[in-house]
Amino acid sequence: MNDEAMKGIVFNIQKFSVHDGDGIRTLVFLKGCPLRCKWCSNPESQEAKPQHAYNPARCLTAELCGRCLEACKTGALTLVNGMIAFDGRKCENCFACNRACPSGAQQVYGEEMSVKDILDRVERDGVFYNRSSGGMTLSGGEALFQHDFALALLRAAKNRHIGTTIETCGFYKYEFLEEACRNLDRLIIDIKSLNNEKHKAFTGVDNTIILENFKRVVAEFPDLKIQARTPVIPGFNDTEEDIRAIRDFVPQRANVEYELLPFHRMGGPKYGYLCRRYEYADKELDKNLLKRLKAIAADVPAFKPGGTIEA
Amino acid sequence: MSQLTLSPQEERVINHKVDRKGRERIYKILERNQFTIPHVDVERAKYFTESMRTTEGELLTLRWAKALKNVAEKITVWITPDQLLAGRVGKLGRYGILYPEIDGDFYREVLSDLCNRDKSPFQVDPDDLKVVMEDIAPYWEGKTYHEHLNKTLPIELRNVTYCDERGLKSKFVVSETSSYRSALQWVPDYKKVIERGFIDIQNEARERLAKLDLTNSIDLWEKKPFLDAMIIVCDAIMIWGKRHADLARDLAAKETDAKRKAELLQIAETCDRVPAYPARNFREAMQAQWFTQMFSRIEQKASAIISNGRMDQYLYPYYKKDIEEGTLTREQAKELLECMWVDMAQFIDLYINPTGVEFQEGYAHWEAVTIGGQTPEGEDATNDLSYLFLESKREFPLNYPDLAARIHSRTPERFLYEVALTIKDGSGFPKLINDEEVVFLNALKGCPINEALDYAVSGCTETRHPNRDTYTSGCVYVNFASALEMTMYNGRMLHYGDEKIGLETGDPTSFKTWDEFYAAYKKQHINLLQKAFQQQVVVDKLRPMHFAAPLSSVLHNLCMENLLDLHTEKIPGGVDYSYFEFLGYGTIVDSLAAIKKLVFDEKKLTMKQVIDACKADFKGFEPVREMLRNAPCYGNDDPYVDTIARDVDRICQLEAMKSSEERGIHVDVRYVPITSHVPFGKVISATPNGRHAWTALSDGSSASHGADKNGPTAVLLSNYHTKNYDLINRASRLLNIKLSPKSVAGEAGTKKVMELIRTWCDLKLWHLQFNIVNRDTLVKAQKEPDNYRNLLVRIAGYSAYFCDISRELQNDIIDRTEHDEF
Repeated sequence: MNDEAMKGIVFNIQKFSVHDGDGIRTLVFLKGCPLRCKWCSNPESQEAKPQHAYNPARCLTAELCGRCLEACKTGALTLVNGMIAFDGRKCENCFACNRACPSGAQQVYGEEMSVKDILDRVERDGVFYNRSSGGMTLSGGEALFQHDFALALLRAAKNRHIGTTIETCGFYKYEFLEEACRNLDRLIIDIKSLNNEKHKAFTGVDNTIILENFKRVVAEFPDLKIQARTPVIPGFNDTEEDIRAIRDFVPQRANVEYELLPFHRMGGPKYGYLCRRYEYADKELDKNLLKRLKAIAADVPAFKPGGTIEA
Repeated sequence: MSQLTLSPQEERVINHKVDRKGRERIYKILERNQFTIPHVDVERAKYFTESMRTTEGELLTLRWAKALKNVAEKITVWITPDQLLAGRVGKLGRYGILYPEIDGDFYREVLSDLCNRDKSPFQVDPDDLKVVMEDIAPYWEGKTYHEHLNKTLPIELRNVTYCDERGLKSKFVVSETSSYRSALQWVPDYKKVIERGFIDIQNEARERLAKLDLTNSIDLWEKKPFLDAMIIVCDAIMIWGKRHADLARDLAAKETDAKRKAELLQIAETCDRVPAYPARNFREAMQAQWFTQMFSRIEQKASAIISNGRMDQYLYPYYKKDIEEGTLTREQAKELLECMWVDMAQFIDLYINPTGVEFQEGYAHWEAVTIGGQTPEGEDATNDLSYLFLESKREFPLNYPDLAARIHSRTPERFLYEVALTIKDGSGFPKLINDEEVVFLNALKGCPINEALDYAVSGCTETRHPNRDTYTSGCVYVNFASALEMTMYNGRMLHYGDEKIGLETGDPTSFKTWDEFYAAYKKQHINLLQKAFQQQVVVDKLRPMHFAAPLSSVLHNLCMENLLDLHTEKIPGGVDYSYFEFLGYGTIVDSLAAIKKLVFDEKKLTMKQVIDACKADFKGFEPVREMLRNAPCYGNDDPYVDTIARDVDRICQLEAMKSSEERGIHVDVRYVPITSHVPFGKVISATPNGRHAWTALSDGSSASHGADKNGPTAVLLSNYHTKNYDLINRASRLLNIKLSPKSVAGEAGTKKVMELIRTWCDLKLWHLQFNIVNRDTLVKAQKEPDNYRNLLVRIAGYSAYFCDISRELQNDIIDRTEHDEF
């Protein structure tokens, strides 16, 4: 199939993104992720299929509207003490309530779009990319979870001379990463923890593949800008040992950067919309600790030209 | 919650982190009386009127010159304590002056209660009030411009202009603004004063006079009195300047502090020299400029006041020479500039007309200082002074002057960087004006290219060519949201009940197609435009009968060439602009898009449902309101609505083109509401974009409040896609973007601001200004005004103290969408 005609599930396209890659960028969020990080700030990204969510803050209330209650045939939406209640277990994602809702309180995360549709939208901001070395960043979920679609998207973007970046967890077959990197200006890849037990416990997956993929991509793409990132998560990897270990693991090369991404809870409310509980709702990152960790992350021996990769 | 990132301004206001080093003098002057309620000074009106009584029957320009001379000789002269520049036209503290020739007929209603009005109040001394009521106002009764206009407008124009017989209350449909200013803003040719001095300028007039043939009746009755006026006005300003030299010497004689004594003697020396003779150094150039600027204010009320022109250009030779010769340090130059800013901030543009007040809240006046841009030869014009101006704006707690940076495609990276840094300071400076749009458009409209390249920003977002432009009447403000209402209610507006104001375009519930609805809207829109143009023709005819401007004329090449006052309707060789303001752009196009989509395309609502919902201000129709609100909105780079927006702009431009041909001038559409989108909204009932009745309309060419959900790039692109670049009957579009301090934090943030500006320049948009302040700070300032007295916010082409503006306007600013980082 022609790359531009490929279709996939997107849950958000965000313009004027200024922290995920160079310049002014448009972020394309793709559905689906193989990891289940306990702190995940995009819970709506995890499932591959479109899914329903209910945001009571945008709701007019049953008293003024109540159209969703009439529309719902599965019993997921009911009236409890005059309030609209959403039971995720009963929801079959038929989206009847979403079509009935005038305010956007009943919403759908995820929409099928073609590569062409996406790039046409991304390209509307082209004039900003020119001036800022910006472009498109694929995020998620996991940017490469819908791998055929994501790779088509990257190839087609390259073809249209749009700058490309992905934010990835690195957990998939190396071939996917390799093909992606052929069409990337920058790779942003998470190294969450070197401790495999902890990694399994907090993300649900083994880190071996991730670390292997990382080493290989660094070796095979010596000219690609690679940005290794560690989300600093309270109770998971927010210790000096953890960060020092990862920093030492990341090779010191001109094309490789390392940075920390402090934990935030801005995704918290979305758990509620999806009828899920957020385990990190009351966790907080110690500010002084973060400062120390940032100093460790930045404290690397002087760059050695032509240095080799040491795992 | 994570901690808020504060802008440098917020750090100063909230955490009191103020660095006064090097600004001791400025803070001393400032703290004495910056935050008191301004007062009215009546001397200008008194001595002006005194002379006008005795000169009836003479050429108006000559009468004006004589009146100015009378003022110059008699008005109290002041040297503000600690100031290095001399010259103010009112008592110490913030003050405003009166221009009874414009609006003296309002004094009876307005003046005694001026201190109690809720918007921009003023204090009036009881003795002064007596002088006004017994001495000044009676003379002007029946003679003011406003009365004449009110009498002249035919009934069908009056009905869309005023609510009452005397024309004291605006209808806010097709509003005239000519009766609270004698012309739009102006930039005098300061360079001429600094380089030549008034003796030389006066000699030019004397030579012309000597060459007249006084047996020729035109020469005798028109040219001679005009040249007499030019000679007298030069005398007037020189007399006024000299009186400051004398005062400085008197003060010096009494001064006990040796340092201040020396300063006063230096002021005396400077005022002996300028504005009569050419300036020899930076200090004299500054003083000559300041005298000219202040005397222009005595001359007339050019709305939004006299602008400062390209200060970094005409002052640079003096600055450079002094620095090279070691007679001036950079710090001294900065102090002199800041001395000017402080005195400038104290002169308030006083609006007597209650409608005028609504138009520019927060004691608005904006003496734009233009920096950067290009030379008349098209080279980049940035110099060391451009940077000094930016430096003086950063960390500076005043909203004056209004700094305007000209940006072009080759603006140096350093200049752009410092502009971005200054913007990030958070008090809204500088505003940006785009050479790539302005130079090109003005050249197409008939300005020679070298002069087009040398434009100065003037007033809010406008531009001037000091020797090519001619005066423009206060423009007409058209509330197109009322055209939308009249389409919905068959020529009527809910606020005005059964009165038929527009055309009867039929019952919209009978319209079968979108085309039918849009055609009806278009008829209402064009009808208002025609009324606006008709009104403007009357205004343009009356203006020269009431106003003259000898000082501005003697400084204008074309006036001296043709021996015509600058208020003359048409001056050979001049470029005549006329503007009308578009009110409610976002409100209207969002409403039209909602109707098109929901009623005609998707048929999810009937027209009756929409109308019923709007009539009820959505009470009981909440779901309908949500559907309307969720329709495509302007400001999101969405072609569905931007196509409509482009067409609405196009209607304006095509009609303006017709009117231009009829009148032989250039009529342009502008989107610069200043603060009037708030009062204009007060007569507009609920609109089909979900906007509640009587609330503010969208401002300028910005999106409706909260409707721009896709970030600043989409806002800029929507603006770009709706401009009709194939037509030239357009001028400024005011564009506000609010960013959170966090989204532009650090070096990376500065770079993003620069990148946004570069792209804005590529897109050839006219104007851009930023508010970089946390929503939280504004909400708190509203609650505890005393702790936030010095918080500045960007309003519309100018910045004002947040606590000086009305609650409605405060809410308006709070509601502007804040673009955060994503």
